[in-house]
Amino acid sequence: MIHAVLIFNTSGIARLTKYYTPLRQSSQTLVQKIFSLVCSRPAGLCNFLDAPELEAFLGPKTKNGVEERWQVIYRSYATLFFVFVVDGAESELGILDLIQVFVECLDRAFENVCELDLVFHFDEVHHILAEIVQGGLVLETNVEEIDTSVQQASKARKESFVSANPLSLGVGGGLGPRTGNIKTPLGWLTGKLTGVGAR
Amino acid sequence: MWERTLQDLIRGLRANKKDESKFIAKAVDEIRNEIKSDDMELKAGAVLKLTYVLVLSQLDMLGYDMGWASFHVVEVMSSPRSHLKSVGYLGAVQSFEQDTDVLMLTTNLLKKDLGSTPSDVAITLNGIAHIVTPDLARDLSPELIGMLNHSRAHIRKRAILALQKVLVKYPDTARHARTRLEEKLEDPDPGVVAATVNVLCELARHNPKEYLSLAPQLFHLLTTSSNNWMLIKIIKLFGSLSPYEPRLVKKLQPPITELISTTAAISLLYECVHTCIIGGMLQGPSGDSLAKLCVSKLAAFVQDTDQNLKYIALLAMTKIVPSHPHLLAEYQDTILASVSDQDVSIRMRALDLVSAMVNRDNLQSIVQQLLSHLVTDPSSSTLPTAAQSLAQHTVPTSPTSAKPQITGHSPAYRLVLSQRILNICSQSTYDNVTNFEWYISVLVDLAHVANVDVGEEIRDQLVDVVGRVRAARRYAVKLMYTLLSDDTMLRNSQDEGSCSEVLWAAAWICGEYCDELAEPQKLLPYILQPEITRLSPEILAVYIQTATKIFGHWAAELAQQWDDSDLQEVKDTVDLILDRVGELISSPYIEVQERAANTVQLFHFIKTDLNGHRPKSSPAASFSAPGPSSSTEHLNDMEPRFPKSLYLIQPLFTTYELGPVALSAQESIYVPEGLDLDAWIVPPPREVAPVEEVGEKKKKSKKGKGKETDGGKVKNTKKKVREDDYGDVLIPLEPDIETPEEIAERAKRKAERLAQLRDDPYYIHDDRPSQPVDVDVDSIPIVRLDDMPSLAAELPNPRVPILKALSRTFSAEPFVIDKQGEMPEGAILKPNMSAPVSRRRTPPASVVSTPPRLSFYPAYEVPDNEVARPSTPDPIKVTRPKKKGTGKKKRTQIATVDNPT
Repeated sequence: MIHAVLIFNTSGIARLTKYYTPLRQSSQTLVQKIFSLVCSRPAGLCNFLDAPELEAFLGPKTKNGVEERWQVIYRSYATLFFVFVVDGAESELGILDLIQVFVECLDRAFENVCELDLVFHFDEVHHILAEIVQGGLVLETNVEEIDTSVQQASKARKESFVSANPLSLGVGGGLGPRTGNIKTPLGWLTGKLTGVGAR
Repeated sequence: MWERTLQDLIRGLRANKKDESKFIAKAVDEIRNEIKSDDMELKAGAVLKLTYVLVLSQLDMLGYDMGWASFHVVEVMSSPRSHLKSVGYLGAVQSFEQDTDVLMLTTNLLKKDLGSTPSDVAITLNGIAHIVTPDLARDLSPELIGMLNHSRAHIRKRAILALQKVLVKYPDTARHARTRLEEKLEDPDPGVVAATVNVLCELARHNPKEYLSLAPQLFHLLTTSSNNWMLIKIIKLFGSLSPYEPRLVKKLQPPITELISTTAAISLLYECVHTCIIGGMLQGPSGDSLAKLCVSKLAAFVQDTDQNLKYIALLAMTKIVPSHPHLLAEYQDTILASVSDQDVSIRMRALDLVSAMVNRDNLQSIVQQLLSHLVTDPSSSTLPTAAQSLAQHTVPTSPTSAKPQITGHSPAYRLVLSQRILNICSQSTYDNVTNFEWYISVLVDLAHVANVDVGEEIRDQLVDVVGRVRAARRYAVKLMYTLLSDDTMLRNSQDEGSCSEVLWAAAWICGEYCDELAEPQKLLPYILQPEITRLSPEILAVYIQTATKIFGHWAAELAQQWDDSDLQEVKDTVDLILDRVGELISSPYIEVQERAANTVQLFHFIKTDLNGHRPKSSPAASFSAPGPSSSTEHLNDMEPRFPKSLYLIQPLFTTYELGPVALSAQESIYVPEGLDLDAWIVPPPREVAPVEEVGEKKKKSKKGKGKETDGGKVKNTKKKVREDDYGDVLIPLEPDIETPEEIAERAKRKAERLAQLRDDPYYIHDDRPSQPVDVDVDSIPIVRLDDMPSLAAELPNPRVPILKALSRTFSAEPFVIDKQGEMPEGAILKPNMSAPVSRRRTPPASVVSTPPRLSFYPAYEVPDNEVARPSTPDPIKVTRPKKKGTGKKKRTQIATVDNPT
């Protein structure tokens, strides 16, 4: 299964951390270790992170008599690194494809996704990831299917939002690329005052 | 009130990068207020912000946690509005843990949500998959199983995945869930089938046998499906099943072989190959061709330009090596090349693979290659071998000792590499090493180039190899001499990664086997130079010991061919030792201090003796050619020509030869009849106490609850103590006085015990008359003159610069490893302990025999008859149950400190 999904940028700032198994005790140092190791890898190397420093974490674990390793599989897109931590039940190359699927889905949802979309819509990114992976197991791998589900879910949230806030001018719900920063009438006003485009 | 939205928070954070923590602290304070609000909208906003802050704080270690807010999160989860509910579930998924207490409150909420609109159900199922606890799993499983037949495929998929979590947390559900889950393999929606396969794959990994019955259905899917993602999972699933069902292997071989040859998807191809390997499908005659096919595919991957393929191919090859090493042998060069890949991930896997591939034939080339990775400067990549550096020994600093600079490899990787070299050479007691001179030089090279802290491992292996392989000792001593006389290591000893622990081994080997050296005294100035104080106390202690050993050996040798002109040299050497070791008496380390003090006292004694020595010119003739038969008896009355103290030290070290101790030596010692290892040797003090205090204690016994206060019982002391332990004290009314028989018995036992201890070389006797060495020098009988060696018998050979000349050319002798180690005499070998005997070198008798030269030395005269120690050590006494540690290090000290003669 997939144990963690991490997104961080080239300066090591996390944009998404999602753990499917409780790693919290060690997660702080672990994530930072992965950050520093992944960041220091020049382009053109393989997409599997393996280093003596991680051996204690990834190293051979015995599970029901079968020895297996965890893998850190990553891909970089522009300024972002997408990192998956998986165990032996996942196919290495399959996960590489899955990262690609994830990014394509983000791209569809945000129209030319960039790092700032992930910053300001971190909840939306979580919703999209939830359509691909649930509880560490892959839910769907087809980009079309995922996109449909994402849209359906966001539509439902939007409708719920509109029905709750009749004054919201039909936008909001925290959804929709670059328009979703108006949550309440007050928020909308604030948005106007501070400038919507000031992201 | 102007509340911040999430966007405001993020914007604020970006604007306040400098004092982010301050800003966050302020924001969290605001959140604390907002989250208590009655306005659900505001509350949800607060939860969302808090979730965001949590992510930040996890990474920056700001230490916020959401525990205090978990109740509010549940409140938001319970909101009827979908957009708020999703925020609540997001907060829960991100922050709840298994022990979050509010999870107990969510059971009904979750049940209700599972009956809500499809979009809410989807959110709920996703939430359940994350936060489910055993209790929730038990309570929710009926609903989840019902969900498997939901009209929407999307919900069915989510329910199946959530069910896996429930099954893991609450396995009792399996009965009901299994059949329903299996039905889903025939679901009309391919996504649902894929999800089912995925779940089965997870479950079967934990418990493969349970899922063997699914094989036909899965096999059907394997042959009909074209969904690669699902095929990969099915193949993985078969990988877990096939080791438990041999028939499955046969059945699977054709379709998998076909997939391997036809599929265009590399991920699927790799998975097939991988499953063949781990699923045991390569055994038997039909497996051979499949194995060849797999290896050829993997080899193509390794040679591919795609680094990812290279990586996974190495991963799979590591798994195939144990069963099919011959197939990989032809790709050895390619594999070795990937050890030098620029990518550390690939290097790590290649290292794993290479270590699995090592055998007797390729060990040297592989190690040489690995070693070259540790060498820093590319220009010096032709590493001078130890032998070469030995040749240049006369030059003060040899090239190898130049301090290596830091390379591109990270220290962590260098450490892994160094340890790997040591491991592959030493695995199964050096089974793959054929030339131990080579290996010793590798160890020394490694110490020079490693530049990481592997000194201790190298030290242990050096000592181990030299102890086990007799034929390599000569070479080892030669090499260690070089190491000790080259002060580069000494100078760098305080740097990190200098591996100065090797000097420990060097000193010990040179001391222990100094009979290989022709002029051992030449080493003394090196190991006693003032700079040695830089070394760690452990090494320093060995240095002192080595100096003593070397002097002892040299002096004894000198005494055999005594020439009065040697006197001055001996005196100078003694002065040198006294001078240098004397400085160490003030060492802050107790071990160094003690050894230095001991040594200095011994040498003071020798010095006094040397100063009192008067050259005798006349009787020289009678000594140079002693009559083999007649004169030996009369020699007793004659003073020896040489200072008697020259023989003082040597017997201290050469009485026993140190050999490797067999792993099972301790446990296989025969326990003598009548010996109870659990019985007290020295009874605990409690046993005595009641005897003396019987009178006073009589009253106390009333304090007990009155049960069994049967005072008439006569008990002996031992029994009473037993009662004592039970809490309710039972004291007999009769004063318990020892009868004369008992006293006699006790005295007898004591005498027996003392007698036993007398034979114990490890027991320090305080009742024996001690012989203080430094009290009255003249009164001490030093040498008994019978059995004097015939001096003419062994004329000195023309001496080679360092080593003694030997008739044999060394390294011609085959290297034999003493794998088994020494066993105590009369040991009962349990059948399973017997090591392979094929390469065993010596019969046990010769292992324990003392070096032959020893018999030449006159023994010291000690008042009691202990001197006549048998040449073979007594079987280890088992009377000391606490005595443990037969490690080499320990033995060294025992042998050096405790030899009472």
